[in-house]
Amino acid sequence: MKYLYVYPEKCTGCRECSIACSLTKFGECNPKKAAINIVRDEFNRYEFPIVCFQCDDPVCLKFCHQNAYEIKDGVIIRDEDRCIGCRLCAVLCPYNAVTTIDDEIIKCDLCGGDPMCVKYCSTEAIQYLDETEELEKRRKKMAERFLEINKGL
Amino acid sequence: MLDKKLGIIDLSKKKVTIKQTHNSLKKLFLGGRGLNSYYLYKMIKPNTDPLSPNNVLIFGTGFLTGTLVPNSSRFNVSAKSPETGILGDSNCGGYFAAELRYTGFDRLIIQGKSKKPCYLYITDNNIEIKDANDYWGMNTTDVQQNLRKDLGHVETACCGVAGENLVRFACVRTGVKNAAGRCGLGAVMGSKNLKAIAARGTQGIKVVHPEEMLETVEQLKEYIMNSKITSILGTVGTPLLYEVSNTLGAIRTKNSQLNAWSDSLNAEVIETFVDKMIGCSSCIVHCRHRNKLGGEGPEYTALGLLGANLGIKDPAHVIELSNICNELGLDISSSGTILGWAFELYEKGIIDKKITGEELHFGDFELVKSLLYKISRREDFGNILAESTRNVKRFGKASEDYLIAVKGLPQSDPHDVRYIKAFALGIATSSRGADHLRSRPTLEIFLNLPQEVRDRIYGKGVPGDPTSYKGKEKTVYFSDNIFATIDSLGICKFICHGFNSPHFVDYTWMKKLIHCASDWTFKEKDIQEVGKRIIDIERMFNNREGISRKDDTLPKRYFDDPMPLKIAKGHHIDRKEFDNLLSRYYKLRGWDNDGQVKKERVKEMEALT
Repeated sequence: MKYLYVYPEKCTGCRECSIACSLTKFGECNPKKAAINIVRDEFNRYEFPIVCFQCDDPVCLKFCHQNAYEIKDGVIIRDEDRCIGCRLCAVLCPYNAVTTIDDEIIKCDLCGGDPMCVKYCSTEAIQYLDETEELEKRRKKMAERFLEINKGL
Repeated sequence: MLDKKLGIIDLSKKKVTIKQTHNSLKKLFLGGRGLNSYYLYKMIKPNTDPLSPNNVLIFGTGFLTGTLVPNSSRFNVSAKSPETGILGDSNCGGYFAAELRYTGFDRLIIQGKSKKPCYLYITDNNIEIKDANDYWGMNTTDVQQNLRKDLGHVETACCGVAGENLVRFACVRTGVKNAAGRCGLGAVMGSKNLKAIAARGTQGIKVVHPEEMLETVEQLKEYIMNSKITSILGTVGTPLLYEVSNTLGAIRTKNSQLNAWSDSLNAEVIETFVDKMIGCSSCIVHCRHRNKLGGEGPEYTALGLLGANLGIKDPAHVIELSNICNELGLDISSSGTILGWAFELYEKGIIDKKITGEELHFGDFELVKSLLYKISRREDFGNILAESTRNVKRFGKASEDYLIAVKGLPQSDPHDVRYIKAFALGIATSSRGADHLRSRPTLEIFLNLPQEVRDRIYGKGVPGDPTSYKGKEKTVYFSDNIFATIDSLGICKFICHGFNSPHFVDYTWMKKLIHCASDWTFKEKDIQEVGKRIIDIERMFNNREGISRKDDTLPKRYFDDPMPLKIAKGHHIDRKEFDNLLSRYYKLRGWDNDGQVKKERVKEMEALT
């Protein structure tokens, strides 16, 4: 199974990933309307890509009272027809990986196996790789690091 | 895409009007610098005092700013310049311009003067004039961080203490070091009691052909990323140019008394101070250094003008001075040039302690540091230096012979232009004074560029020899036009055809990018006309302020003093050859022999709507 792995040390903050995502999904260039977000602060000197970790035990799925989420081939997919737009998933996701804007709920679906964010990143700060034990460790580490940054936000 | 609004803010009347620039005008000038220059010409009356409420200050984003198009982060700040008294315009990257577009505005025109310190807060389709009392007096980082604390994650363009104190070369800053650096536009903000513009928006830019944009950008990105120059710029940034110029013997050193300086400022040394390379919005080059001394940079300009030009060798010192300029909101190019000028004048006895109040000399880091602070606060001798090139009057006629400036603007390029003749013509004719980012035909440095490539870019009859005057009007003409266009699209010059590479975004790429965003079908030659139009309207602005052939000249030293060191040794600019070159340039532009835009063309341009 392939997942997205982020490398914040390579991220330059440019947001081509987010803009490519919004352009693909909504036909507009809008880094705030994307499944991948770059948390960046040039004064406190960090750039951090935030994207759905496709958790093993996802809270978005677990607490959705409409059962709008399901796991398909290891990817957590939101069913737009079932979803009533209550945004509980966005509120509960500890990684801020579910985006809500303009009445839209945006959650990464890995673009069906050809993630646009990866294609348009110029520094390989986000990569789509076969899951390995080492990569999984890295993913957990990134999740912890994000939670740390998030505390300070 | 074309639905973005024009905000007109009258600070005297506290009135905000929201309009839209007609598509017909966008087709003629695209956006960014082009439309800004159009509005300056229309809105500013001749002989307006640049620091009076009558000056008009414009923040204009490029046609493609904030889109997926690589390096589309840019905006232009424009007004009549308090440093030169002619057209003032400066291009800037970072994240502010994209954010402004996400609020639904593509341009802000600011008139009048606020009674009290104020800032503009721009949110979705809304502009508020707010009290800036709490932010006045803050340096550029503090004001931006405090605005974020108070308003959330805004992107801000602001002036520093230098702008508040009307230093004639105060810049506009955004982020840690991005600056609309040139022409003293920070002082125009200060004169209007405008500390900052903070923007935060959620509106996207709807493009007409999303799939076409995704495809075109994918191809363009691959094309740019495969170039060697892209990876070098992404690794070391502009400092790579320091060594290029220095090897030639073309680094302005100690106010151009010398033309070569220490290897201690080479890119490989600067690299050791880099924490991480970062980018502006949509950037695929990422040439910005986050340095280990708490700031960003230094750029090539800082290495040359705060290093070599002031006789400073220690890279840590240069980086610190660069960081200080950024915090105070001072233009690095003017700061380094004006200080170098003053140091030489003092050494030559043209000015003395009666004016300076202290001893001046090259190579003194602490002295430079203290003078930068004094300039920003207009204290002691700093108050005099803050007047920039206008000090010729105070320092006496003899001082002018040592001033490295054109049309009152200190030269930005650390490159001594006595060797490469096309560079000399470029700074002599640029619409804002001695500046390299208007028309520097950098390819002149590429001695091994095949002749057929040169012919294809500039047309036939341009020899590869950079010291030849022959045909060099064509290189400046080409560069001036295409850079004006890329500035209007909101794309960084680093990926512009002919700036750092004989490849990259040329008129054919522009045509494709404009089409996917707006569905407009331009031909290459239509886009070339945009560039020519911009250069003409900027010249019309300057002609109206009294600029003519007499002003398209060079510092005396470039004509009369041969360069003393290295490959460039013995080279200078020949007055007669330069004069002929200038005449040929005017002819190519269609200007008359006095450098005036011809009456028919003025009429045609004034009728554009």
